[in-house]
Amino acid sequence: MDILVVLENNHGSLHRLSKEAIVGAQRLGDSISALVIGKGANEIADQLTGYDLEKVITVSHELVSSYNADGYSEVVMQVAESCSPKIILAGHTYQTRDFMPRVSAKLAIPFIPDIVSISDEGFVKQVLNAKFNAEMSSTSDKMILSFQSAAFSEDELRSGSCSMEVFEATLDVNNVRSMSEEPFQEAEGDVDLDSAEVLVSVGRGIEKEENVHLAFELAKAMGAEVSASRPVVDSGWVDSFRQVGSSGLNVAPKLYFSLGVSGAIQHVVGIKGSKNIIAINKDPDAPIFELADYAVIGNVLEIIPKLIEALNN
Amino acid sequence: MDSISFSFFEKFILAGLTLVALASFTYEVYQRLVIVLKGTGSLPFDRFPERLSRVFREVILHEKVIRERPWPGIMHALVFWGFLVFGIITLDHFSIGFYKSILSESAHKKYSYIVIPFSILVIFGILSLTYRRFITKPKALGKTSPSSGVVAFFIVALMATYLIGEMNISRFLWKVNWWIHSIIILAFLFLIPRSKHLHLVLGPFNIFFKPFDQPEHTPVNIDLEGDEDELDAMLTDLTKLTQNQALDIFSCVECGRCTDVCPANRGGGILDPKHHFILDMREPLLENKDVAVLDQINVEAGWECTTCQACTEVCPVGNHVEKSDEIRRLEVLVEGRVPQEYQKLFTNLQETGNTEGASSSELADSLPVFTPEKEYVLWLGCFARHGLDPNFNRSVKNFTKILDVAGVSYGVLDQEHCSGDPANRLGDKLTYTMLREHNMEQLTDTKKVVTLCPHCAVNLGKEYEKYGTVSYTVEHHTQVVGRLMEEGKIKVQMGENGKVTYHDPCNLSRILDIEDEPRTAIRSTSSNFQELEESGRNTLCCGAGGALWWKKETQGRTHLVRAEQVIESGADTVVTGCNFCYGMMKQGLGPLTPEGREEVLVKDVADIVAENLI
Amino acid sequence: MKIAVLIKQVPGSESSLSINNAQNWVDESSVTFVMNPPDNFALEEALLIKESRGEGEVVVVSMGPSRVTKVIREGLAKGADRGIHLEEDDPMEIDPLTIAQRFTAVLKEENFDLILTGLQSDDTGMGQTGVLIGEMLGISTATLAIETDVMDGQIKVKRELESGWFQWVQLPLPASISIQSGLNTPRYPSLKGIMGAKKKEIKAIHASELYNGTKSQLMNSIFLPTTSKKTEVIEGEVDQVVEKIVEILRSEIKVI
Repeated sequence: MDILVVLENNHGSLHRLSKEAIVGAQRLGDSISALVIGKGANEIADQLTGYDLEKVITVSHELVSSYNADGYSEVVMQVAESCSPKIILAGHTYQTRDFMPRVSAKLAIPFIPDIVSISDEGFVKQVLNAKFNAEMSSTSDKMILSFQSAAFSEDELRSGSCSMEVFEATLDVNNVRSMSEEPFQEAEGDVDLDSAEVLVSVGRGIEKEENVHLAFELAKAMGAEVSASRPVVDSGWVDSFRQVGSSGLNVAPKLYFSLGVSGAIQHVVGIKGSKNIIAINKDPDAPIFELADYAVIGNVLEIIPKLIEALNN
Repeated sequence: MDSISFSFFEKFILAGLTLVALASFTYEVYQRLVIVLKGTGSLPFDRFPERLSRVFREVILHEKVIRERPWPGIMHALVFWGFLVFGIITLDHFSIGFYKSILSESAHKKYSYIVIPFSILVIFGILSLTYRRFITKPKALGKTSPSSGVVAFFIVALMATYLIGEMNISRFLWKVNWWIHSIIILAFLFLIPRSKHLHLVLGPFNIFFKPFDQPEHTPVNIDLEGDEDELDAMLTDLTKLTQNQALDIFSCVECGRCTDVCPANRGGGILDPKHHFILDMREPLLENKDVAVLDQINVEAGWECTTCQACTEVCPVGNHVEKSDEIRRLEVLVEGRVPQEYQKLFTNLQETGNTEGASSSELADSLPVFTPEKEYVLWLGCFARHGLDPNFNRSVKNFTKILDVAGVSYGVLDQEHCSGDPANRLGDKLTYTMLREHNMEQLTDTKKVVTLCPHCAVNLGKEYEKYGTVSYTVEHHTQVVGRLMEEGKIKVQMGENGKVTYHDPCNLSRILDIEDEPRTAIRSTSSNFQELEESGRNTLCCGAGGALWWKKETQGRTHLVRAEQVIESGADTVVTGCNFCYGMMKQGLGPLTPEGREEVLVKDVADIVAENLI
Repeated sequence: MKIAVLIKQVPGSESSLSINNAQNWVDESSVTFVMNPPDNFALEEALLIKESRGEGEVVVVSMGPSRVTKVIREGLAKGADRGIHLEEDDPMEIDPLTIAQRFTAVLKEENFDLILTGLQSDDTGMGQTGVLIGEMLGISTATLAIETDVMDGQIKVKRELESGWFQWVQLPLPASISIQSGLNTPRYPSLKGIMGAKKKEIKAIHASELYNGTKSQLMNSIFLPTTSKKTEVIEGEVDQVVEKIVEILRSEIKVI
């Protein structure tokens, strides 16, 4: 086979980044197989029957029924040794980061991580805190790749059909030494703005404390967190840990969605690292528009309720 | 009543009690003085006449006590002046007990025409103060103080027994009254050193010894190439109070004026200078009988201080209250416990010589370079140089415009590093040493420095001088503007500025004692000038001092308290003389402006003068 | 307990960075170098573990040209006991496998109980070194630890997962753990620490002597991200605007 895509189980369904990884694989080669490991592997494999793949390999050994780095890396190595793919690939998730380097060392092939696009001579990844992009290439014809979220779109998945295959991995307590418990969530209120992918940010354009709930509702509809500019925090409309800007946090989310934020310099300095900025403000001269990728000139109080409605449908 | 005589037995008792009271009093005072003398440094006797005059004004005339809290101040003055007047009476009282009266009968009678009215004033005063303390209960006075109640009772009783003694009563009653008066005085002697009433004794001395310069903190000399044992000794010494500081702690009268004016406290912080900077160390001092107690200062409170010196300015017994320098340098140099945002600040200063970690400055590049034949080094400071508020660049340009019009030559130093104020005020004396040594080298051929930043002015001048000779003079730009106006080198006209007010930067008015020049400049350009509530040396810090500009404000409204006052004053424009105040006003006024009102304009002195140049 | 902390020296985030003439890295002449911020958390964690156990040795290991001794000294000033400098020539090695082999050669001899690394470096950000070394040494690994609990012969690690999920993992020692930023508050070096650091040992070894095999990965070039900041203006009727926004969120930014 050309490419082995290692899939991730996201609490019962196929992880979005795994779907995107399959799209990436379909760009790179023809003979593509997928690998699913652990508890629920069969259910995930079932979800793939409409995809254009050669086969889906499942591994259900009890020592990998829940994720652990020892077991997963050992399984991938054994599958790779048996099928000899040129490329092993996955979505760049916390899980991939945890075990894929083990595979790289076991097989002595390079792992090029967090790729944003494929170039003529190699693969592009961000360096120096995304200030620059770098083109990486492997010196061997075998390699491991992981793709960054949204490098590819699952809309472009080629459909087709594929078969299922079971692989018997050889695992014992000598090569699986770690024990992991079940993942769990912590209580709400542990808001981490730093790691939020999307931030909905509230500025003075929200006009009144009574309107702040709109930001929270929009955030909920998008699975986002709420942040705010300093004047809003100073007025007591929002908790101070949500403050973004020169004396609050510096954030670099995938999307910074600002509502009625003017873009004063002290605030802007805290959001410069955002990958995408959508700004809604009724003042066409608001400084935030110089930074924004999408400048929505309009009334926040009119747009947001309708946007929330549209997103919830 | 000199026909009254005392039996030998009575004299014996009197002598015994007096001796015990005096001995106890002396011992307690002596004990505290021994501790004070264990402090580092020495008590200052320089500028003797000025110190004496200060004691006269603040103790005899009660200037500060009355100015800060007029009504209680006057009431206290009455009690105090009564106390002075009663000096002779008390001596006479005991003299009668042992031998006979020292005043002749006619002298006694004449003097009583003064003393009797005073004793009534004293009763009025003390009752008024008692009402305030126990019924009105202002927050600044803190918990109910039993010793105050006792003292109030004593004073009233003393006045009452004096008055009774002047009346025509039976021998027996007179003697009983006499004994009551005596016992109360001896009990008073017993109480004084063990309570805040020790200020009766120590106050005048403490005011005498008060430093002229504030802030006054022992310089920390660090030589990284030096002897390790010396460094060890220096670090251990960092926990020790100076003699003056120890004296302060015993002189504290617990009035709470310091906490009342503290901007951090008023902004909702936990900092309470009365306790955190003074009283928390009193018990440890007495228990350990030693002065190594600076590590008792509450660390969290210590980080909240803006180093504005309002507490020191307002203390009626001459305490140098502020001790953020002491606790911060312990945390930084000895413990390595530094809040994260300040670690970044220190690293930036060490790596790039400025607070922002920048490698170049657009503003500096746009200004002429200093060469030795130019009159002034224009010292920019990190705020202007690295655009902490880019709007302020306009103010710098306005100042250079004024200099150009006046024909004054100036230039900026290419290798200007941060004056070190943030490192200095945050306790990182090591980074401060690096910056200071670098800057001193850059300034070797300089005669005159002018800067728009009072923090830079304070460090380049006063602070650097604590470590070595400084061969240049430092002026704040408002001083230069004032002088140029006086010399006629620039002329201004009245402008349409609406209602204008001025916010005194704490570093400028309190630390550098500059309040007049900015006002002269403003008044010559604006006809409608109005003072803010707390102005001049009593200004309320904008909240950026003590390097708090760089603190992650996750709680507290220190930075908004002054902005609120500006809005309440109804001014259209607030002028200020410091880039940090400028930045703080710009940040604070917006969100606090009520709906329908125009936002207050913020200008620097340089702006309002340049705008109205003829 | 012997703990190794692997620290990298990287360009500071406030440095003005420009691409060098060869277009394969940044021009280092105007760069301010700092300790990789994630490694700072790893170092602090190591110091905390040593302090809580009341015994142990923390060794700082760093690879790079002579300037990296600065971050080793920083580690020593904060409380590490000694340092090891893997001297590297220009150009900087970027191949994770080569880097890991070099570290492994040094770490293997010393039998460390625990190897801690930051989650990734602020320069190339490959995020693999700790795990690769773990595999090469034949020891267990875990990444993104936001809490550690060292017991005798074992370590329990709370791993951070996406979207507010967490997982506890227990591993036998020796182990190689990568540390998530923010799990502790890194200390500042005290004056005594800075003075004392001058006397602590830094052993220097030439990196190429440790391993000089074929590189598995190369960085061909670097360039500015081509997404030009063209602001797309959206105006009009509220309903149209909302529709456009939804489309952008879905197809262009891909967050829904």
